[in-house]
Amino acid sequence: MPGGGDFGKKKDAKKEKPKYEPPVEAKFGKKRRKGPDTAVKLPNVYPTTRCKLKLLKLERIKDHLLLEEEFIANQEAFQPTEAKQAEERDKVDELRGYPMSIGTLEEIIDDDHAIVSSTAGSEYYVSIMSFVDKGLLEPGCSVLLHHKTVSVVGVLLDEADPMVSVMKLDKSPKESYADIGGLESQIQEIKEAVELPLTHPELYEEMGIKPPKGVILYGAPGTGKTLLAKAVANQTSATFLRIVGSELIQKYLGDGPRLCRQIFQIAGELAPSIVFIDEIDAIGTKRYESTSGGEREIQRTMLELLNQLDGFDDRGDIKVIMATNKIESLDPALIRPGRIDRKILFENPDSNTKKKILLIHTSKMNLASDVNLDELVTSKDDLSGADIKAMCTEAGLLALRERRMQVKAEDFKTAKERVLKNKVEENLEGLYL
Amino acid sequence: MPAKEESTAGADVPAAKKPAPAAEELSEEDQKLKDDLELLVEKLAEPNQTDSAYAEYLTTMKNFIKESTTSMTAVPKPLKFLRPHYPVMADLYEKWSAGSQGSALLVQLADVLSVVAMTYLDAGKRDSLKYRFLCDEGSGGVADWGHEYMRNLALEIGEAYQESLGADDAYTDRLVALSLQIVPFFLQHNAEADAIDLLLEVESIEKLPQFLDASTYARLCLYMVSCVPLLAPPDDIAFLQTAFSIYLSHGQLTQALTLAIKLDDEALIKQVFEATSDVLVHKQLGFILSLQFNRFRSPDEDVEVQETISNVKLPEYFAYLAKELNLLDPKVPDEIYKSYLEDSRFSFGSGSIDSAKQNLAASFVNAFINMGFCKDKLVSNVDESKSWIYRTKGTGMVSATAAIGSIYQWNIDDGLQALNKYTESNDDDIKAGALLGTGIVSANINDEAEAAFALLQEYVTDPKKLLQTSAITGLGIAFAGSANEEVLALLLPLVSDTDVPLEVSCLASLALGHVFVGSAHGDITSTVLQTLLEREAAHLNNKFIRFMAMGLGLLYMGKTELIDDALDIIDAIEHPINKTLKVLINICAYAGTGNVLQIQSLLQMCSAKPKKDAEPKPEEGGDEEGTAEAGEAGEPAEAAATEPKTEPDTAPATEDVEMEDASEEPQTEVKKEKEEAAEEAEAEEDDEEEEETEEMYQGIAILGLACIAMGEDIGQDMVLRHFSHLMHYGNSLIRRAVPLAMGLVSASHPQMKAFDTLSRFTHDPDLEISQNAIYAMGLVGAGTNNARLAQLLRQLAQYYSKSPDSLFMVRIAQGLLYLGKGTLTLTPFNIERTILNKVSLAALLTVSVALLDPKSFILNDSTSETTHQLLYYLTPAIKPKMLITVDENLNPIKVNVRVGQAVDVVGQAGKPKTITGWVTQATPVLLNYGERAELENNEYISLSHTLEGIVILKKNPEDMEVDN
Repeated sequence: MPGGGDFGKKKDAKKEKPKYEPPVEAKFGKKRRKGPDTAVKLPNVYPTTRCKLKLLKLERIKDHLLLEEEFIANQEAFQPTEAKQAEERDKVDELRGYPMSIGTLEEIIDDDHAIVSSTAGSEYYVSIMSFVDKGLLEPGCSVLLHHKTVSVVGVLLDEADPMVSVMKLDKSPKESYADIGGLESQIQEIKEAVELPLTHPELYEEMGIKPPKGVILYGAPGTGKTLLAKAVANQTSATFLRIVGSELIQKYLGDGPRLCRQIFQIAGELAPSIVFIDEIDAIGTKRYESTSGGEREIQRTMLELLNQLDGFDDRGDIKVIMATNKIESLDPALIRPGRIDRKILFENPDSNTKKKILLIHTSKMNLASDVNLDELVTSKDDLSGADIKAMCTEAGLLALRERRMQVKAEDFKTAKERVLKNKVEENLEGLYL
Repeated sequence: MPAKEESTAGADVPAAKKPAPAAEELSEEDQKLKDDLELLVEKLAEPNQTDSAYAEYLTTMKNFIKESTTSMTAVPKPLKFLRPHYPVMADLYEKWSAGSQGSALLVQLADVLSVVAMTYLDAGKRDSLKYRFLCDEGSGGVADWGHEYMRNLALEIGEAYQESLGADDAYTDRLVALSLQIVPFFLQHNAEADAIDLLLEVESIEKLPQFLDASTYARLCLYMVSCVPLLAPPDDIAFLQTAFSIYLSHGQLTQALTLAIKLDDEALIKQVFEATSDVLVHKQLGFILSLQFNRFRSPDEDVEVQETISNVKLPEYFAYLAKELNLLDPKVPDEIYKSYLEDSRFSFGSGSIDSAKQNLAASFVNAFINMGFCKDKLVSNVDESKSWIYRTKGTGMVSATAAIGSIYQWNIDDGLQALNKYTESNDDDIKAGALLGTGIVSANINDEAEAAFALLQEYVTDPKKLLQTSAITGLGIAFAGSANEEVLALLLPLVSDTDVPLEVSCLASLALGHVFVGSAHGDITSTVLQTLLEREAAHLNNKFIRFMAMGLGLLYMGKTELIDDALDIIDAIEHPINKTLKVLINICAYAGTGNVLQIQSLLQMCSAKPKKDAEPKPEEGGDEEGTAEAGEAGEPAEAAATEPKTEPDTAPATEDVEMEDASEEPQTEVKKEKEEAAEEAEAEEDDEEEEETEEMYQGIAILGLACIAMGEDIGQDMVLRHFSHLMHYGNSLIRRAVPLAMGLVSASHPQMKAFDTLSRFTHDPDLEISQNAIYAMGLVGAGTNNARLAQLLRQLAQYYSKSPDSLFMVRIAQGLLYLGKGTLTLTPFNIERTILNKVSLAALLTVSVALLDPKSFILNDSTSETTHQLLYYLTPAIKPKMLITVDENLNPIKVNVRVGQAVDVVGQAGKPKTITGWVTQATPVLLNYGERAELENNEYISLSHTLEGIVILKKNPEDMEVDN
């Protein structure tokens, strides 16, 4: 026993009343959502501006990586890892045992004990094997259990909500910028606000500004908002997530906001990414006093969206594109600068643009020689891009009806009349509301 | 939209009959512009017009280009439209220059062509530059064309310079001249980085200062200095010198001093001092020097200034800090062990473990936690008979007594008084401890009186080896970095004398290495090398020889240019020790440079397979070979399985079996068994040592990785990745060194990724690896009171409660963690982590080298040799991490400062904040790793550019006016 009398007394006193010691954070439940393990992550390089210093730093990293490669190649020649790994794997497999059962982690007790429930429903207090990655364990995740001791021997990684992964666009749409007639200024704006910050962040850094976070596209129906978004998706190499506002409205309370969170989480993981929310007015309408639970839930979803757009956490390389044709009904908080920095107006095309749109749509059609495209659309007609497309389709249908292989000027004329008539009817309908 | 988009997007569009591309897409405005430009080109191409007409066309064209507002995403329209006509115009130029057109016109055309050529970026052609040279060079019209053009030009200049370097001097001179025209433009337009990059490309950074003014130099210098660790040798010195001269000419003396220290040039330091006659500034410079270079003699011989440089006032200020932070109460080791927090199921403390060893650990811990506070509850007990010292035994008493030195750290007068009675003791152990303590107490203080020297002098030649070694070590610690010639005269004979025991000789060399660290002292070098040549081969196998080598290596710290001679002589030594020597000299010389080539060669050294493993091993079962090599040989089962017949009884002795020995040939194994039975059999031990030294260079190479990489942030991060590979593939010695190196690279910087990995190593089946990992955890957290580390160490204390050696190490780590109750630090970097303190690094390195073989040094229980005393070599590395503000009379004053995480502001636009997440505190405050302080308001002006250590504040006269 070390220490004299003085010492001993001290110890006794302590036993009575141990000083409060703040608990130290546990390793659990901190899923490494972002990228690889911190220990193997490459260091960040500052400054982000274009300069020699950055180049030197990046080159230094490259040198080190080359050294690593060389070292590993050398060592690998002497002592192949694979054999060693296979052996280690065997060892782990042995410890795991066969067969295994699957359970759910209910509660983590301490560093190596947890409560799990098996599929049969019964709950057990079990130990966690030391080789299980503690960073992946969190309450509610699926775990592999040893068949006899029921101890935790592995974690089953569950991917994020399948609904979110559906939203990820794997196949880029066919439409490109070339398929857009007109809209030059809109394209330029969206490029500056969305694409450029992802590809050339240093331009903004040099200027000392933060790049815009997102844009909202608004304007009359059929003016090409969604088309432009498709073109962006076609062009970019960033992850493109697309959702429709109404998708965020879910059956159960809290599901909408959760989905919203998950979307941005996925976007963060797959950064750089672009999130496109079509028809944002489905959830983004102005807040008002409401007694309906459904309404309130929708509003909560919007509040979550607000937080995701410009909340406490930095979202990093996520750009948001929203589209609506009723910008005036949106909640002002949603489109304030900082959340949505740029508002891009889509107007009905002018005669020149209309001609271009017509050219694009008719470029794949067999036209009779009597068709004069210049006469088809005049500046007088109040046609949107969608109307012109409809007109072309209509004309094609008319030709088809008569089993002709060519579309004649006559067809176009009839088609145009029909489209315009439908348009008028639509407008009339509005009167009765 | 721009043509380039169309072409990229075209892939998805089916090859339809699209109307002719660009022309159709243009808006009316664009079409007009295009037509205009085409017309201009056509007109220009028409022969036989007057010069004035041509000039007019060119001016119009120039205006078109200049006035175009560009978008970020596309090429400016006029350039886009002109692009197809570029060849035409180039031809035109040829025609004109052959023809009769006036030179003014030619210049104008060349000017335009140079701009248009930007769109024609063919590799290797550099038309833009070509036409730029064809313009009038002196006209200075370069700046007319805007930023993008200048950047393009700068790029081409850089390429052209590299190409024609050495081949065409006249051309390179022209390039430099052009660069000098461009640089002012960059400086005016906030593109400092571009300016420096350009000058770097054309290798004329020294021309920079002429363009600078008071508003730009700060950013430029910051950028330059942060480039330095990444630049190749001639450039980095040029950068530092340029930045130094800029700072000096703008009166930023403290910053200039920092760079002078970094350049390691005493003449420059003197120059800084001579730049002003203000005594106050001199004192501030002195305070900065005291952190780094306290042997400097102030040129004007002011006593007070010299005092600041020599660190004499440090104890005063430290006492003030302790008082203000309310840390005066001494702590006992148990307060930091916090064993009451351990799980009560495992009884801890008494019982089976060796209490003397634990008491020794406690005295170290006590020394560490109460360091510099002049007060403790264990050893400085007045009643000598009850003193803690008697609770330890053997050499333990040496360290326990020396702990008094640590407690009175820096406070020479009180310390020597306290030690006095022990110096007179009859017990040799205690006396030796007192001698060591005398050295410790005066570490880092460059006192005129040199009391330590006077006291230790006579014992250096004492016949009793214990007293002798303690005195030598004491001198080494006390005069570390002082380059004191008297110490040299005293110790050098011991090194060269082959009659004194090798241990003494080696320790003397080590001490000299510390005293003359980084001086490349010729006499010592030759003496040490001579000794190594003269000593018989058996001696060179001794475990202490590494300190002889270490002493030599330390001399060359940071002296990359001087090592070649020494390396040549080393080749003459035929013993395997030469490898170790070479590695040591190299790593010391390149310490803190981040030199990738050195790292590469070190890594290659570690990947080279040691001979014996490559040899076929007939005795072993073929299929078991893989496992034995894979570093698991330390496990009893494996070893027994490999050699079942020769040694049936390895299992009980495994704790002491050294790892690589288990995989050795059976004969050695048998020998080893004998050795364990009779430890005194020196000859055989030497045999074992031979194996050690042969591979020792690998261990040192690993430490070298840390030393070299710690110099810059990227290396620091990347080297951790190397370590994980080394840990994976390396042999036992390498694996033993890796935790130490990890500790070294992030000393006093408890970053999660470092200690997380370390804590995994602490459960390694090889005890020595785990012990080193434990020590490294202490090193990583040194002086931080990090709660997480504390918890990990507590768990380890419990885990190893039955293993006295490991527990000892855990205690040491705990002691380090609470170093000076959290007021001290071990980091070898000073002044915003920019300059490497050689003395600190030497100290850390020494202990790490000793720990490459923990069993034979730090954890050795031998009564005759120097063992755990070596831990006190950490002392020179320990310094307070305080910020104390003093007034003009050097009395401490309280000022509010903001303390926060330092932000890297290099190359950022505007005036970004230098700290983030700050809290306002009143000085004195503690600054942790990566933290920075700034004054809260304008009431005072700091004389130093960085608030660190002791800073003199002056009342701000402007602020006074506001108040009135």
